[in-house]
Amino acid sequence: MAVISYYTRSLLTNKSLWGWGVLFMGFWLVLGAYIFVQSGEIATAQAALAYTADWYGIIALFSLSSLSTSIAYSIYYASPALAYCFRYTKLRPITYLLNLLGSSSFLGVFLSLIMLGGTYALYSTRFGFNLKPSDIPAAVIFSALSGAFMLALSSFLVLVVNNYLGLRNVSFVSFVPLLLSYVFGFGQLFTSLPTVLLYSSPMTAMIDLLYHFYSGYAPTVVLTNPSSAALDWRLMAASLTAWTLVLLLTSGFLLGRIRPRSIEEARQA
Amino acid sequence: MLEIDDLSVTYRKGSDALKGVNLKLHKGKAVVVGPNGSGKTTLLRATLGLAPISRGRVRVFGLDVQSIRTDTRLSTNVLEVYRLARLRVKDIISLYAELKGADPAQSLKMIDDFELGGILSKWIYELSSGQQKLLGNILALSFEPRLCLLDEPFDQVDQSRRLRLAQLLRDFPGEVLLNTHEFGLLDRLGDSALYFMIEGRLFGSFELSQLTRLYISRGEVAGALVTLDTSYGKFSVTLDRGEAAITTSTSLERLLEAVA
Repeated sequence: MAVISYYTRSLLTNKSLWGWGVLFMGFWLVLGAYIFVQSGEIATAQAALAYTADWYGIIALFSLSSLSTSIAYSIYYASPALAYCFRYTKLRPITYLLNLLGSSSFLGVFLSLIMLGGTYALYSTRFGFNLKPSDIPAAVIFSALSGAFMLALSSFLVLVVNNYLGLRNVSFVSFVPLLLSYVFGFGQLFTSLPTVLLYSSPMTAMIDLLYHFYSGYAPTVVLTNPSSAALDWRLMAASLTAWTLVLLLTSGFLLGRIRPRSIEEARQA
Repeated sequence: MLEIDDLSVTYRKGSDALKGVNLKLHKGKAVVVGPNGSGKTTLLRATLGLAPISRGRVRVFGLDVQSIRTDTRLSTNVLEVYRLARLRVKDIISLYAELKGADPAQSLKMIDDFELGGILSKWIYELSSGQQKLLGNILALSFEPRLCLLDEPFDQVDQSRRLRLAQLLRDFPGEVLLNTHEFGLLDRLGDSALYFMIEGRLFGSFELSQLTRLYISRGEVAGALVTLDTSYGKFSVTLDRGEAAITTSTSLERLLEAVA
């Protein structure tokens, strides 16, 4: 089905995604490298690698949440087209969702690799060590899973609002993944969140998995404090996978009952 | 092919956009003429599955519109349904050709025939209103549909292209449900059923070939083909006699104003 290539192209040419998902994240990376840490504060390669992996995990998550916002907007602007296509073209809800899944996973990997390359180059230069990621293939796999999760979350939220609550709430919910990313991202970076919350939150799971596969170290309850309790990345992976599957199944169900909303209503709500 | 029974559509509580509409289209074309805001587009949107049906039923190819799935035999010129993703015109054509299981070459040929080659690399929002309307018409007609729903297909289109489009519609082998607020060009569509839509109610059918013989008069007239019961009075449609010939006005709205 060609939807995946058109949708991927549509996302890749989305200026908002490039602006917020790439350029703005570059700005955060510069802040992380030059503002949030003083010269000489990080003396060892091990500490530099952990610090770099912290930022990679968080920035990749922020970038993916920008992807999520773009996906949410594209779904709700397409509600009349989807309602028509499911009736009068060969497109089925499950096919559409799988195409979006492929597209989002590709974009997840794409954005994550940009962040990976940017983080590696910038932080290696800043700290004077070769801060090479420890497991790039695994980082790529979990970036794809993170992209899939962002699709599942954003499509679930926007479909619930579109089908049952009215478009007045769409602008807000399309930014929910972004808000959650910031809350959980900075939350785990600097504070001690409850362990059960860290395992059950897909946002922290994404940060911790990306941190783990960049640094090779076990993620900790407070990411900037290596002496805090270690977390099991396998449980994080299981949590993220379960969230993704549950939200995808629910989204598939909601997509089959999509309520067509006029584009004008979407613009003016 | 298309059966609409007692259809009501309600966007807002207490205000029906369509009120108990009945229409059957098994062969040929049906033309719905009515003033702006009379419910013509809502009728099409309900058939497309885009309007909230509060009462009645729409059946397309024997299936209820609420439950119909993956039936590629219906097409429309309502451009809203072609915004599946943010795409340029050429990609919209390719994508929908694939989704319809059709060859995009037919659309591209029609684009060429209408001298619209320049729009292929553009986004929809970069097109003029007339170009958007023509693109919708082309997408509706070119994927070999059996049933084509056309919302104001001549609107904003220049005269030479209107004539070309009218010819295309006349030669179109499938069924067409077309709505318009103008009487111009209707005589070029060939044999069709004619309906009037006023304030969400559908009146008819008449034969389009009789258009020049239809008259309208204020009030109830004995032997009238139909009486139009509207909020601004009753009007009778008669054959060969009456206060004003329907074709003396460019639209039903103006005609009712003139007679009232």
